[in-house]
Amino acid sequence: MGIRFDAVTVAYDGNVVLDALDLTVAPGEVMALLGPSGSGKTTALRAVAGFVRPASGRVFLGDRDVTDLPPHRRGIGMVVQQYALFPHLRVEDNVAFGLKARKVPKAEIRTRVAEALEMTGMGAYARRHPRELSGGQQQRVAIARALAIRPGVLLLDEPLSALDAQLRSGMLAELARLHRELPDVSILYVTHDQMEALTLADRIAVMDKARLQACGTPRELYRAPANAFTASFVGNANLLPVTVGASGAALGTAELKIDTSGAAPGASATLCVRPHLVGLGDGPNRLTGTVTEIQWRGATHRLYVDVDGHRVMADLPELRTPPAHGESVTLHFASEDAVLLPAGVGDHG
Amino acid sequence: MLVHSRKAKWAVWALFLLLFLPLFALPLLVVLGASFATNWSSVLPSGPTTANYEAATRGEALQALTTSLVTALTASLLALAAGTWAALAAAALKRRSRKVMDALFVLPVAVPSVVVGLAILVAFSQPPVLLNGTRWIVIIAHTVLVTAFAYQSVSAAITRLDPAYEQAAASLGAGPAQVLWRVKLPLLLPSLTAAAGLCFALSMGELSATMMLYPPDWTPLPVLIHASTDRGALFTGSAIAVVLMAATLLVLLAVSRIRTRASYR
Amino acid sequence: MASATLSTPAKAGIRAPAVPAWVWALPPVALLALVFLYPLALVVQQSFQPDTGGTSIRPYADVFASEAFREALWTTVWLALASTAGCLVLGFVLALVIAFVPFPGARAVSRFVDVFLSFPSFLITLALLFIYGTVGMANGLWTDVTGAAEGPFRFLTTPWGVLLAEITYFTPFVMRPLLAAFSQLDTAQLEAASSLGARAPRIVRQVILPEALPALASGGSLVLVLCLNEFGIVLFTGAKDVTTLPMLVYGKAILESDYPGACVVAVVNVLISVGLYGLYRVVSRRAGA
Repeated sequence: MGIRFDAVTVAYDGNVVLDALDLTVAPGEVMALLGPSGSGKTTALRAVAGFVRPASGRVFLGDRDVTDLPPHRRGIGMVVQQYALFPHLRVEDNVAFGLKARKVPKAEIRTRVAEALEMTGMGAYARRHPRELSGGQQQRVAIARALAIRPGVLLLDEPLSALDAQLRSGMLAELARLHRELPDVSILYVTHDQMEALTLADRIAVMDKARLQACGTPRELYRAPANAFTASFVGNANLLPVTVGASGAALGTAELKIDTSGAAPGASATLCVRPHLVGLGDGPNRLTGTVTEIQWRGATHRLYVDVDGHRVMADLPELRTPPAHGESVTLHFASEDAVLLPAGVGDHG
Repeated sequence: MLVHSRKAKWAVWALFLLLFLPLFALPLLVVLGASFATNWSSVLPSGPTTANYEAATRGEALQALTTSLVTALTASLLALAAGTWAALAAAALKRRSRKVMDALFVLPVAVPSVVVGLAILVAFSQPPVLLNGTRWIVIIAHTVLVTAFAYQSVSAAITRLDPAYEQAAASLGAGPAQVLWRVKLPLLLPSLTAAAGLCFALSMGELSATMMLYPPDWTPLPVLIHASTDRGALFTGSAIAVVLMAATLLVLLAVSRIRTRASYR
Repeated sequence: MASATLSTPAKAGIRAPAVPAWVWALPPVALLALVFLYPLALVVQQSFQPDTGGTSIRPYADVFASEAFREALWTTVWLALASTAGCLVLGFVLALVIAFVPFPGARAVSRFVDVFLSFPSFLITLALLFIYGTVGMANGLWTDVTGAAEGPFRFLTTPWGVLLAEITYFTPFVMRPLLAAFSQLDTAQLEAASSLGARAPRIVRQVILPEALPALASGGSLVLVLCLNEFGIVLFTGAKDVTTLPMLVYGKAILESDYPGACVVAVVNVLISVGLYGLYRVVSRRAGA
């Protein structure tokens, strides 16, 4: 079952926290809502669940307008950051909760609870209370509980942020597997972590300041971000202010041969190059500057280079003899790895 | 933490004991001591006896104990029901109406109990409801007095309740009634039992309103203790007081056992 | 998969008309009105109805003119203020020691404080009779040691006896919110302060006291109201010369059967107490306690 936001606006006390969101999640699709805190992504998810009422706009589940429907009539599975497992119920009763609320026959409840727990690998813990489980186990139970009602839509609100890094990557793989087993379920996945979004999502909707900034497949957003915010929030990016020329662009004195189609000569623009696509030494598009900082990151070296007052980052495979601090170096990048964005944002981290 | 030298610490503790023991521990010990004595004209009581307890556990004293227990049990259950209902209803209201509810339901704390007693006496000694002279007038007064406390502690617990549980239940398809019955009330259970214990203890020791209202055949323990000491039977009065304290403590202990079993986190 | 779930929500396309929230608030409010607000209103009404009939402010004039009322009013107010001050000082010192100079058994002591709160107030007066009464522990000690015929302690039937009992009984009401406030205080603050060279009195004054002020304010005003309304302690001292407003209400209603007079005193007492309690609620809400 798909989800559709039709110009959904949410405001608290006149404060707009979600501004005219238009977004469609196709049946069976995993859509990540990615953005910093306060960007409106959680509000969007809660509007689907029915816990916030839009000031205007409609929310559809499939073909059904659910804007005026109370949460318990929506048939949605939801997992939140702190899991909200009922502390007074055993694992099996937590998972059975939604089924009992629907008055599903006892025998069927039993099989469906077992099925949901099996699917999340928690079958052995049915008789435990939530407080007797680790964070990762509680997470699995929360997912099992949401899946037991066989929802058409699964809402995940920062589901992994309470877990430590190692568990997080394991759960991410687990979620991907669950989605392969339940290909019809649409998932709306709210996160501030770009790695989670890039790994799991079919498409990513980037949110900032209550607005949708960009929406596309991870690859599209990464290779050709629509704006500077998207470029810097999805992956790292060098964002450099350039002036568009006749057959390229100029960064200070450096002439760069890049695709400038769509930009008028003489206009200002922002050039976006991913740090790992910047190479050391001579090449097609040359930038010369002094090294201000070198960080060894195990497999790579991160160089910070000052080019005419602009900071350029380069991620290079581990160097045998890295340049010294203050040394003058030449960097280059391939023309097809650069994207020209509308101007407006200067040097971004 | 605050005082680091050993000497200063001992000095502070000595001061603490000097204040704490005579003020708080001594009174309870003295009542306990007197309950086993026949005479107290020196430093220590004299004439050890258990006769006071024999008097305190039979006849009118035994009846007063039952009276107190029945009154406190009835009043605290009624208060718990009314207070919980009111607190749950208030929590669903808008800010301003909720404040009005809060003010209404804690008003009995601010009004002197003697005045509550007087008011109920005035109101129920005249038609349409004539209750003067019955046990119900005492029970109603106790209920009014302790409902305020039940309301306060339950509504504090409701504020602390994480809305995520309700929302999780609603997202799983539970309607408002199911959310209340299967999620909210079970999660509030520890606070409800605590509130019940508080109400019970308050009702067991209630004297002010009771003095205004009690009919001769419904004399609770505090009134009997006053009657005993008033006619000079201090030692019997002490024994009855110990019975009162013991009964209160036993019930509180039972309640706190239920509470431990009912708390999940 | 999706179709299975929708069986329930789908048929609920039209929302059942929900009962508005205020309807649920009606039954308890009606009950409260019946057993509390209506009786209270009757008290006010009766305070304007002298026994001679009709409606007038005669009862008020009579009561305000009587020496006994004015003395009771004064006794009530000063006893309550003095008890509150005593409770605040004593409660602060004791809670400070329990929280910040902990000793083995400090937890048991704070448990004991909770238990203390669940006992009725008149037990304290009863105990004081054995400690400071004419033939009690203190006087007995005095006569044993000095050989005198009578001991020097005979303040129990004076307002001082009531003051001592009230301070004893109500101090835990100050200690409880204070202990709660102290447990919220980050001990790292104290460590930082002492590492910066502050000694204990300065830490108490500059770090602990500011944190404790809200709890002191709310605990203090609660105790003030409870002292104004206290009845059991005064009744048990059995002293004829200590009369407070609640005692006066009891005396007029039960002993003299002067209901209009009792109702007048009751109205005055309620006005003072409810006014102060309103202040307490405002203070404690502002303090977030």
